[in-house]
Amino acid sequence: MHKDEYVIETDKLAKTYPGGIKAVKGIDMKIQRGQIYGFLGPNGAGKTTTIKMLSTSIKPTSGTARVMGYDISKDSMKVRKVIGVVPQDLTTDEDLKGIENMELVGRFYDIPPRESRKKAEELLDLVDLTEFGNKYVSTYSGGMRKRLELIVGLIHNPKVLFLDEPTLGLDVQTRTKMWEYIRKVKEEFGMTIVLTSHYLEEVDELADIISIIDHGQIVVTGTPEELKNSLQGDIIEATFSDSMQSKKFGEYSKSVDVTYPKENVVRMKVKDSDMEVPHIMKYMSDNNLSPIRFSISKPSLDQVFLDYTGREIREEEAGDTRKAQMNMRRLRK
Amino acid sequence: MSGLLPLTGRELKKWYRNMVFFITGLLQPIFWIALFGSAFDIAKFLPHSALENTFGTTSYITFIIGGVLTSTSLFTALFSGTSIIFDRRLGNMARFLVSPIHRSSIVFAKVLSTTVRILVQAVILIGVAFIIPNGLILSNGISLLGIFIITAALIMVAFSFSSIFSIIAIRLKRQETIFGIINLINLPLLFASYALFPPSFMPAWLRNVAAYNPVSWSSQAIRNVILNGTLTGSVLNSTLEYMLYLLLLTIFMLVLVYFVSEKEIRD
Ligand SMILES: Nc1ncnc2c1ncn2[C@@H]1O[C@H](COP(=O)(O)OP(=O)(O)OP(=O)(O)O)[C@@H](O)[C@H]1O
Ligand SMILES: [Mg+2]
Repeated sequence: MHKDEYVIETDKLAKTYPGGIKAVKGIDMKIQRGQIYGFLGPNGAGKTTTIKMLSTSIKPTSGTARVMGYDISKDSMKVRKVIGVVPQDLTTDEDLKGIENMELVGRFYDIPPRESRKKAEELLDLVDLTEFGNKYVSTYSGGMRKRLELIVGLIHNPKVLFLDEPTLGLDVQTRTKMWEYIRKVKEEFGMTIVLTSHYLEEVDELADIISIIDHGQIVVTGTPEELKNSLQGDIIEATFSDSMQSKKFGEYSKSVDVTYPKENVVRMKVKDSDMEVPHIMKYMSDNNLSPIRFSISKPSLDQVFLDYTGREIREEEAGDTRKAQMNMRRLRK
Repeated sequence: MSGLLPLTGRELKKWYRNMVFFITGLLQPIFWIALFGSAFDIAKFLPHSALENTFGTTSYITFIIGGVLTSTSLFTALFSGTSIIFDRRLGNMARFLVSPIHRSSIVFAKVLSTTVRILVQAVILIGVAFIIPNGLILSNGISLLGIFIITAALIMVAFSFSSIFSIIAIRLKRQETIFGIINLINLPLLFASYALFPPSFMPAWLRNVAAYNPVSWSSQAIRNVILNGTLTGSVLNSTLEYMLYLLLLTIFMLVLVYFVSEKEIRD
């Protein structure tokens, strides 16, 4: 593979399930080596379907994709050799021990047993499961199983790692810990990671590039910063002790939106606060304005999501909780 | 065929580790032989000469051992199908499908491990048949060819039946469905065959149906060996004919499993 080629490249990739559900409606994307690429979208957006196509477990209805230069339909065996996959649902065998699960998967890749065991021990250590390697998976907690899933997908040193909702159903602390592991994996093994999530904080935290996907289509792609900046609106809010000053401050520039949410409070929407604030400072000192409160807020991914999909990702939360519970039940079973 | 050995190893490991499952699997043939042998012991009702004429032996167990071995295979083969469904439901299948293994090796591993289990059951069953009262008698001895025929027949039956149940399960998500299908076909397969009674006991229509039933082929082939010891003449020919049918069926099923599973298996 040439340096300038993309690790993953798709061309109008689409999947219609039997029954006519158009789960993915033509996705074009390019993913560079070493990136963490985040797929953000609500339940049913088509994230899992996309991952399943890219990881060759289902065939696209139309369109093509290349992973590490191999066509996912024609060269699926070669694709499988270079990818690691952590599916949304659990895949490890409860009747086997943690390490046995890893060794089994190691044998799928023809890794010699000795090497496979060494690698398995290393990976168990990476996610703090060393003491549990020799225990049956049926005795693991939900969080432990998710950690095991993560490393099972890594036993063969894949070049590309697909993580489908790696923290679904985990509590906040475990989730933060999982992020740490994912970052370690990226740093230690230099992998390209494709991550799906419907947690905004998660992609914001981990991803270098984000695509927001909704109803089977990518609505926007960019770095978290770019996406936030694309809203063209950092909010600057200043509170003054009297209306004279607030009025004067409001006259700062004709080219910015000014509103007065409360008495003596001025809110400005500026394109790029980093560029604008020095000018504002100068204006204030020139006019002897001294605010008693001054804040700059950059837009959050929440707003980005709302802006591009027309709804809040939280609206999905009701369904999400149910799903998380179901997942936990499965984790426990 | 990458994946076949590790996956077969996994199946067998899960089998012998699950003690309850392991032991019930071994008890099943013992129950079969003990119950069939005594409940249907026709030796009680018929004079010895009549028994010799229709069954070729005065011990009913000796007569039905081929049938019991075959039907035990039939019932054990069902696990190939159910465990494919379990792998799908428990998520293991998703892992197999993204691994660089042939999709057919997932199914062949089921078929292979089930065959191993069936052979272990067969050995136990034959052992028990020998030791119970009025049990298995090899009055004409047994030849090396005979042992080979019994083993080969059982392997082919195991392969074929496991393949059939695996193909049924290849897209199924619910165990209930396969149990329904199995209840529908297993007993007819057993009773519309020469497993428990000789063809002469059957009405003509049933006899004709049974002639096409693989359960009959294997039961009769094994029975011929057990009753006759060394095979000669027409008995040898008919035995080889049954073996040929079984071989054709096995080859057909293996090819079918290969193509169907490579193409159709889903998570
Ligand atoms: N096997 C299937 N058969 C039919 N429809 C399916 C199948 N799998 C998914 N779908 C449908 O395709 C759409 C996309 O599903 P997908 O699982 O890709 O979404 P997702 O973005 O991963 O959602 P989630 O956040 O809930 O995991 C949904 O409408 C879903 O109902
Ligand atoms: Mg999903």
